[in-house]
This record gives sequence, structure tokens and C-alpha cells, in this order.
Amino acid sequence: MTLQRSLDNLRRIEDWLLAILVLLLVVLAGGQIVLRDFFHTGISWADPLMRQLVLWTGMLGALAAVRDEKHIALDVLQRFLSPLAQKIARMLTFGFAAAICAALAWYCYVMLSVDYASATPSSAFASLPAWIPETILPAGFGLMALRFALRAFAPPAHTPPLMHSVERPS
Amino acid sequence: MIWLIVGALVVLAALGAPLFAIIAAVALFGFHAAGEPGAAVAIEFYRLADMPALIAIPLFTLAGYLLAESQAPRRLVRLTNALFGWLPGGLAIVSVCACTLFTAFTGATGVTLIALGAVLYPALRQAHYDERFSLGLLTCAGSLGLLLVPSMPLILYGVVAQQFHTTPPVSIDALFKAGLLPCLLMVVMLSVYSAWKARDLPRPPPSSAREVWAALKDAAWELPLPFVILIGIYTGKLAASEAAAATALYVLIVTVLVRREIKFGELPRVIREAMLLVGAILIVLGFSLALTNWLIDGDVPEKLFSALQAGISGKFAFLLLLNVFLLVFGMLLEGFPAIIILVPLILPVATHYGIDPVHLGIIFLANLQIGIFLPPVGMNIFIASARFNQPATRIVRASLPFYAILLAAVLIITYWPGLSLWLAR
Repeated sequence: MTLQRSLDNLRRIEDWLLAILVLLLVVLAGGQIVLRDFFHTGISWADPLMRQLVLWTGMLGALAAVRDEKHIALDVLQRFLSPLAQKIARMLTFGFAAAICAALAWYCYVMLSVDYASATPSSAFASLPAWIPETILPAGFGLMALRFALRAFAPPAHTPPLMHSVERPS
Repeated sequence: MIWLIVGALVVLAALGAPLFAIIAAVALFGFHAAGEPGAAVAIEFYRLADMPALIAIPLFTLAGYLLAESQAPRRLVRLTNALFGWLPGGLAIVSVCACTLFTAFTGATGVTLIALGAVLYPALRQAHYDERFSLGLLTCAGSLGLLLVPSMPLILYGVVAQQFHTTPPVSIDALFKAGLLPCLLMVVMLSVYSAWKARDLPRPPPSSAREVWAALKDAAWELPLPFVILIGIYTGKLAASEAAAATALYVLIVTVLVRREIKFGELPRVIREAMLLVGAILIVLGFSLALTNWLIDGDVPEKLFSALQAGISGKFAFLLLLNVFLLVFGMLLEGFPAIIILVPLILPVATHYGIDPVHLGIIFLANLQIGIFLPPVGMNIFIASARFNQPATRIVRASLPFYAILLAAVLIITYWPGLSLWLAR
């Protein structure tokens, strides 16, 4: 299936992008300390770049969390539902999450387009327009909406733990 | 109409909708009702990229996950065992100390339970500790360490609390200092109980000097870490974010390049695991920041305070109520989100009652620590149940004495502010 293949590719790109950005964050943050303590200097753009990296890696992490269904949620009630009710609950809750993410993607796009139109410089780097680091927001929420919508109809990524533990004979 | 929306959101939350989506929905509706455009929520969320304190969170979490994935847990157990194994209850004390250090690094109590439980449970059983004690001890010890530097929940509390510009201010360094003695109190209380429980067990002879030296050498690369971080932060030489940066870079180099226990090709997977947790937390945090401003604009904490004051006059009654409330929410929300959601509501009220915001942070985490493995739905019960292959009810029964000990510790921490504030102020 070509859809499956393009989804797989998207995953791989996402995982590597996340790894590269996190490694960049580690090297920058560690490098700043080495530079400061041993050479009494520093990179002026490193701090704002690191703050942006926190947002980018956080958004990519949140996107990955949709795939693994690791978003923080109350799963108390879910454990006691019948399989059919669980299926319906998944469609409702993930459908809701998809709708909210789509709305957020739109509002983030509105914010970005305002900054684009007014050519606001980013607080991070004087020469870089503000809208460039902001692209992760509409892109991230947009992809999350898509992924939530797909997951609403997919089987669960993991079963709620109570089912395992209580029904197992001791 | 508004109650319809509230009702729908409550049902969705109960059915397991992601928490961030619920909070984002509340923020969107709230801003809309206040006549603000939806893009204002986006702008508030974007403030995540404007908080220097947050840089510490991915860095410490990554370091913790890398260590968990390497052989460091095994070396840590070997070393503490060589040093303390001969004490009465030695191995139990070793377990408590190792789990505490480990959770402090990962900030994820479940990871500790899984990573260290695999090593410690068979060891405890082999040393003739009874099954029930071993299960309870490890389930409880997994959640220790949330109060110890460089714990991520403490950083989160600091980040959220700083939004309120309290006097005295809540610096993350102050929180790190405040957590040390309360954490030590819990470790000591559990160690004393362990020593008493194990008084009749055969004791292994003290390790030979050669074994101590070998264990020291074995752990030589990891050994400097806790000392550098603890001393760096407690003497004020390193800020939290700098300690995080140094730790992450050092751990990355040691595990991947020096020890080579994590292959380069495995890095994306480990990084992804760590960032899953960070992403899931930051996204909740981002929308809570939006919600917090909305709550403050609506004077909600003030109203809550005047409503509470009618029934609860004193600081002590308030603290007691707070304890119960936090235990329940800690159980329902697994710690992190409880901090993010409850601090904006409780902190302003607590300062009215004259509670130091740093002390409040320690009370918060001490309660959440118990909530995490409190029945019926504390997450760690189920993690322990899966890890040790035991029914959840058995884990709960095994944990009973440990609830009692930690509850006593929480009460001491709550009603003796000096314990938390002595080092911090």
C-alpha cells in the first residue's frame, strides 16, 4: 500500500529529525558551558536557538506520543468498558482530539500569517523572520490532527494495564 | 450552553481523551467567551519557546533515559551493595537509595520501577527478604526521588509557580535545595523500617576491600555525576539549566562513545522514548499557561480563596485538606499533570494562608509521590503488577506499611516548614 509506505517514511523522517534536533540541543547547551567556563566566551544566538529547540523537540515528541498513544489521559473508566464501548470511546475521544488539534493548527497558522504579513523579526535572531520558527506549530498540530483521526479507527497501541493484572490468577 | 460544554468535556476526559486537548478546548472556549481571538491561545502556547528554565527538562530527561538504557543501574546496585550490603536490612536500604537516585534523574517513577525492579527484586528474594516486603518496598521506592535534584517535577513546579511572581520568589535552585532534607527524611524512615524488618535475616559479611574497589572502578564514569550536580547546585556554582546541559552532554559521551553500551543506531529510539514523555508534558504545560492567564484575569483564585475561607479559617486545616486533595489528584493524574493543572489554582490560595511557595512545592511533590502508587488507580501499582507478574491487589496489600510510613513523612514535611526551608532560604 502506498499510503502505508508514505506513512512509514513520514515516521522515519520524524524520528531522525527529532534525534538530530535533540542532539543539537545537547551539543549547544553543553558547548555553551565549555565555552563560558574555559574560554570565557559564548555564542550569542545559542540561547534563543535552544529555547526554540525545546519547542520543536517538544512538538515532535507530542506528535510521536500520538502514534504510541502515550498522551497523558485519565484511563480509569476505559478499563471497565466492554470492548464495543471501548471502540466507541476511542472514536469519540480521538475524534475530539483531532478536531481540537485541527482548530489549534488553524489558529497557529493565523498567528504565523500575521507575523508573516508584518514581517516581524523573531526575538531569537535579528535577521530571521519570526514566522520561520513558528512553522512547527501549525505543522505539528496539523499532523497530530491527522494522526488522531487515523488512530480513532485503529486498534489500541497498548491495552490498559488493569485488564492484565486483575484477571491473571495469582 | 456553558454547562453542556463543561459536561461534554468532563465525559470526554473520563473516557480517556488526551488531557492537553481538554485543556486546549477549555482555553479556546474561555478566550472566546472573553472576546479574545483564537490566535491568542496560539500566542500563549508559543510562550513555551520563551522560557529558559524549560531547557533543563529535555536535557535531564534524555540523560536519565540514556542511563536507564545503559548498564548504569546494575553498576549502581553493585556499588551501593558493596558499601551498605552488610548493614541490617542492607540490601533493602540499597534498593531505596538506588531507586531514589534513579528517579531523581529520570523524573519518571515508572521507568525506575521497571529498570531497577528487574535487578533488585530477584536480589531481595535471594537474600531471603519475604515476597510481600520486597514487592511493597520496590513499588514504594520507585516513586522516591521526586524531591531530589535534578527531578523534573520540581523544575515543572518552579516554572509554573514563577508565573505568579510571588514574594519570596520561587527559584528552581531554591526548590532543589528545599527538597534535599525531606527526601532524606523519607529515605531514612524507610531504611529504619527495613533494618527492623530484616533484623532476623542472615547478614552477608562486609564486602572485601577488593570488591569495594572493583565496584568503585566499575562505576568510575557515572560516579562523578551525582556529586557534580549536587555540589554544583547546592553551592550555587551551577544553575539548574547549566547542570542539565553538563549532565546531558557528559552522559551522552559516556554511554555512546566511551562505554558504547548504547549503539549509535539505537540513539533515535532512546531519544524518541525520552522526548515522548517531554512532549506529552510540555504540550499540557503550554495550554495550561494560556489557561492560567485566563484564570487570573477572571480572579478565579481570589474567589476560590474567599469561598474556602468561609469554611477553613486556619493554615493547618487548609494544609490538611490540601494533603487529601493532592493525594487523590496525584493518584488520578500521575504527578506531572497534577502539578501543571493544580498549581495555578492552589498557589495563590496557599500564599493567602501564609504558606511559603517553596514549601508548598515540596508538599505538592511529597503528596504526589504517594498518590502515584495509591489504590485504586495509582499508575505504579499497575506498572509493578506487570513488572513483578503479580495481581494488582497483592501489590496494594504489600504496600500497606509503606503508605503508612510515607504518610507520616508527608505530615512531618507539611507541618514542619523549617525542614524544607532551612537550606533554601
